[in-house]
Amino acid sequence: MATVEERVKAITARKLRVDEVKLEDNFTADLGAESVDSIELVAMFEEEFGIEMDEDAALAVQTVGDAVKFITNVCKEQGVEIEQ
Amino acid sequence: MSKVKKKHRLTDAKEPNLLEDIFPYDLPPRIRLEGPAVEYIDGKPVEFDFGAVKDRPILITDTTFRDGQQAMPPYTVEQMVHIYDLLSRIGGPNGVVRQTEFFLYTKNDRETLDRCRALGHEHPECTGWIRAVKGDFRLVKEAGLRETGMLTSCSDYHIFQKLKFRSRKECIDSYCEVVDAAFEAGVRPRCHLEDVTRADIEGFVLPFVDRLMEMSEQVPDELSAKIRLCDTMGFGVSYPGAELPRSIPKLIYKLNRECGVPSDRLEWHGHNDFHKVHVNGATAWLYGCDFVNTTLFGFGERTGNPPLEGAIFEYIALKGATCGIDTMAITELADYMRSIGLPIPENYPFVGRAFNTTRAGIHAGGLRQDERIYNIFDTAKLLNRPPRVAITDKSGADGVAHWLNEFFGLKGDDRINKIRIHKLARWVIDQYDVESRLTTISDQELEVKAKEFFPDYWEKYKANVK
Repeated sequence: MATVEERVKAITARKLRVDEVKLEDNFTADLGAESVDSIELVAMFEEEFGIEMDEDAALAVQTVGDAVKFITNVCKEQGVEIEQ
Repeated sequence: MSKVKKKHRLTDAKEPNLLEDIFPYDLPPRIRLEGPAVEYIDGKPVEFDFGAVKDRPILITDTTFRDGQQAMPPYTVEQMVHIYDLLSRIGGPNGVVRQTEFFLYTKNDRETLDRCRALGHEHPECTGWIRAVKGDFRLVKEAGLRETGMLTSCSDYHIFQKLKFRSRKECIDSYCEVVDAAFEAGVRPRCHLEDVTRADIEGFVLPFVDRLMEMSEQVPDELSAKIRLCDTMGFGVSYPGAELPRSIPKLIYKLNRECGVPSDRLEWHGHNDFHKVHVNGATAWLYGCDFVNTTLFGFGERTGNPPLEGAIFEYIALKGATCGIDTMAITELADYMRSIGLPIPENYPFVGRAFNTTRAGIHAGGLRQDERIYNIFDTAKLLNRPPRVAITDKSGADGVAHWLNEFFGLKGDDRINKIRIHKLARWVIDQYDVESRLTTISDQELEVKAKEFFPDYWEKYKANVK
């Protein structure tokens, strides 16, 4: 199974149509995510990991690295198995 | 001006101070007045106690059927009766909308009057409107009205250029003859000082009003002449320091305190040629006129009159309470006016279709967090009009989420969060980014998409709604 980081990067690259995604990338400033892109990304992460995220907390996440940490925590809280 | 510069220290806070004593939300924001206001009149300072307005018997009068109709095709009898009925509801049991005036010249005029009175409402009291012609009192008397307005134009534009009097004295004598005729007929005259904001106040208006007051001393109180100050061309100015004849404070002072016209016999009638109409009416209240004359939605000659609904909210703001007013009837009246083909601009305060609709996504985000941020008061409670967002490329996910939740009527924890509306938000954005759309997305289009993307919600909240 791919790691959380790999899965987050793959979804981000596919959604935002970028070739390379780095942990320090800011979704908005570096990757060009707009308002609707952000909520689509959150929805895609929820579907990918089978989790439900708090809307305000999820949309407050700024960077790919923080998203990896945030999703990892939510998976643990919600008892979802992941590869770290 | 002396120097008053001083340092101001931050009052830090961890909790918001929403100033709810001024902005209670379930009522229009209060207008709290600190007195006294000072106006220099004839070189001397005169104090006005604005704070007293809270306890003064200020009221609203209406001229929707007279001045209001001068700006549009005539209403049918049925329409006028329905409007009158709703006016009565707005004014409530305290009769805040105290009077409305009718033409008396045609069969339709008289039938309308009879049918309105047959509804049995105490308020608005029906009054008449006639030319300053003695014979016209027969119409007033036959109609059984206690009061009528009559034209007593007072600028030289009217006296000489329009009415062709040979002198001011001849003019006053003529007007006073008609006032006498009113007294004789047992009808209270309400003298409409047409074009007063362009008149010679000291040289004509005050001597004329002095004479009216003297004449009124000879008749019972209920017949004594009322004075309507008609700002026929919208020249009135509310600012302290403005000169006569345009100064509303000075005009009212002169009539109220120098001529001795009591406040409950003084009325202001404005026009909106310079965008001052509502504030000028409220100013008249503050300086001593008890009555402000209005029309529904400001419909009136040329640019219109003080909007009745604006005066209603001003009244509530000054009194700090609704005083029995039924504000919901304002929305009903606006819907009714639209249904009979009278347009109300989309952005018209309180009743336009978009008066509390935001288009900016960032505002919609604010509404989503706390509707008080971008709504003037609880428009759902007072007008049956919850705040809305119109969907464009600027609406963002917040705007789409707000629209959808309002559409399904979802509140609190039942509201659909932004993440769940991503398909609809994407469809909206693609309308502009992909389809190159340039127009607002209509509610009808959004409703189709809401059904497509949210079938469960549709089934639960909309399927059985007719």
